[in-house]
Amino acid sequence: MTAVGATRLVAAREIRETTRRKSFWIVLVVLALAATAAVVVPTLLDDDGTRYRVAVVGDRPGLAEALTTSLAGLDATVRTSLVTTATDAERRVEDGSADLAIVTGDRARLIVKAGEHQELVGAASQALSTIGFAADLEAEGVDAGRITDLLSRPAPTVTEIDRGAADRKGASFAITLVLYILLLTLMVQAANGTAIEKSNRISEVLLAIVRPGPLLFGKVIGISVTGLLTFAAGGIPIVISLAIGSDLPPGIGGALAGGAIWFVLGMVLYLTLAGSLGSLAERQEEAGVVVAPLTFLLVGTFIAAQSAADTTFGIVLALVPLTSPLVMPARIAEGVATVPEMAASALLLVAAIALVARFGAVVYGRAIVRTGRRLKLKDVLRSTPA
Amino acid sequence: MLQVEDVRWRYGDKIVLDGIDLEVPAGKVIGLVGPNGAGKTTLMRILFGVLTPDTGSVRFDGRPADEEARRSWGYMPQERGLYRDMRVLDQLVWIARLHGIDRSTARRRAVDLLERLGLADRRDDKVEALSGGMAQRVQLAAAMVHEPDVLVLDEPFAGLDPVAVQFLSDVITDHAAAGRHLLFSSHQLDLVEELCETVTMMHRGKVVLGGDVRQLKADSPDRTLRVDVEVEHSWVAPLGVEVTAAGAAGSRLRLVPGVRAGEVLDAVRAHHEVTDFGVEAPSLAELFLAAAGDVTAGALR
Repeated sequence: MTAVGATRLVAAREIRETTRRKSFWIVLVVLALAATAAVVVPTLLDDDGTRYRVAVVGDRPGLAEALTTSLAGLDATVRTSLVTTATDAERRVEDGSADLAIVTGDRARLIVKAGEHQELVGAASQALSTIGFAADLEAEGVDAGRITDLLSRPAPTVTEIDRGAADRKGASFAITLVLYILLLTLMVQAANGTAIEKSNRISEVLLAIVRPGPLLFGKVIGISVTGLLTFAAGGIPIVISLAIGSDLPPGIGGALAGGAIWFVLGMVLYLTLAGSLGSLAERQEEAGVVVAPLTFLLVGTFIAAQSAADTTFGIVLALVPLTSPLVMPARIAEGVATVPEMAASALLLVAAIALVARFGAVVYGRAIVRTGRRLKLKDVLRSTPA
Repeated sequence: MLQVEDVRWRYGDKIVLDGIDLEVPAGKVIGLVGPNGAGKTTLMRILFGVLTPDTGSVRFDGRPADEEARRSWGYMPQERGLYRDMRVLDQLVWIARLHGIDRSTARRRAVDLLERLGLADRRDDKVEALSGGMAQRVQLAAAMVHEPDVLVLDEPFAGLDPVAVQFLSDVITDHAAAGRHLLFSSHQLDLVEELCETVTMMHRGKVVLGGDVRQLKADSPDRTLRVDVEVEHSWVAPLGVEVTAAGAAGSRLRLVPGVRAGEVLDAVRAHHEVTDFGVEAPSLAELFLAAAGDVTAGALR
């Protein structure tokens, strides 16, 4: 039996036993449904532009038309409703049944929740001003037809720069969150698997047949394949949606593709480390403890990916192999990653995997048969080969 | 012939194996005995390449044992190792395939073995659903499913009921009778004495005694008088004889040079009627205790 053959058999066992568990398929189905919902629901809810609800106190002829004209350039529509008092109008804004309230009068008043619907506030101000101006002209004896002509000039169109930034930020958050959860889950699974094999002594039986390397890497590959199935369950609805041309947030396609590449490489890196560190544990319950440094690193990287992906620090993190699996997909999603960066990041990650593979096999081979207590990494590295 | 030559292994500051020599010829049952901490399990791990000796070598048929040779051996470790959530048949087939056997042959052998071991109806059960004795048999099957030439069993009788002990004894003798190599370790020296032609006794990382069991007994100057009476020390003290064991089932009296067995028997009969007696060579336990010197009787069962 060659090392490759043994690795294949170990990986196949891992995949077969995992896919036999109901819990695996339940997670897969839930993830696929959640991803489908994330794609379909916004499409169902999305209409042609923003629709505002405005409560108006007092009769002000022409207000609705003026508002509609003002909002046309912003791809928004408005529906006005009359209310009797300013108190009622304020209550409607408070409870969310109206986005804005206009109390008409000699000195009109706008009621809006602090910081919200600023473009509507602007449009309403403009509409009130227009109506007031028309009234003044009429009072000056200008012909009504002439007034209409003067005021019916089309509103300027508004060009928003980088309107997709928020969407890309959302895509970045979504993809890094999924990668973070998957990496964390699979990493603990790898460490658990090794710890179980050590604690129930199956590792001793297996090491009498195959070398430590195939045992470790077979496990890593097996768990990686099931991890990819999980990733695919979440990604396929998005891919299908992109393929049929649905209106998904900008950046999600690139984030998914980049996420897949860095996810695979990052998974191999983290799982190899976690699998070898799992051999330090004496009991399964200790698996979480021995991979705690990796867990903290992942948590820190996830936070950095949200807050600093588009900074110089983000570039550094996107190149460092242990942080790039989360930060680079975030940079791709935000549209700030460059091709040279991506190439350098991927190359460094592959090189790191080669180093970690050697390191992992050494730690695993030395620690897996040393039982009796939890081992320290430095002691294992200082010890003679098993 | 499986040979261990001058194997030494150290763990930190502790010398675990200190120049061990061992020979396991084909067709013989070889026993490895010694108390906990003697180094038996470490030696077996070295046999299979799980651990690498600091010095010394393991040879098989005159050549250094390599991975290829070792893959055709079978090993049953002291602490049982099976995937508890894996089905019995799947586990055996998978282990056989790791030994390099093709899928259909692996399956056929696993099915046959489970039939022989009385587990045919449990082959689709997970290991965790089996009793301890059944899991033990599956463990044995895992060591034998690839029909190994060399079978090494570390404490195989631990925790077995009498029926299982007899079954395993038959497996061991059958394996050796087929001209294959068999080495097993055990604390249960009565079983070792019954099954083995040759023993190697280890203590604190060294071989303290070894050889053909009958020859070792014959060579020992010590003799024991066995009587079916619970003897009090005072009955034989004037003769300088030591009562090594005494109970309702009888007593064992270690004879000393210059004292005839008949004199001791007369001394006992002066206090109690004796209906069954005999002069015996020392048991393996007694040989071991004599060889190890300071080993306490409690270290051996």
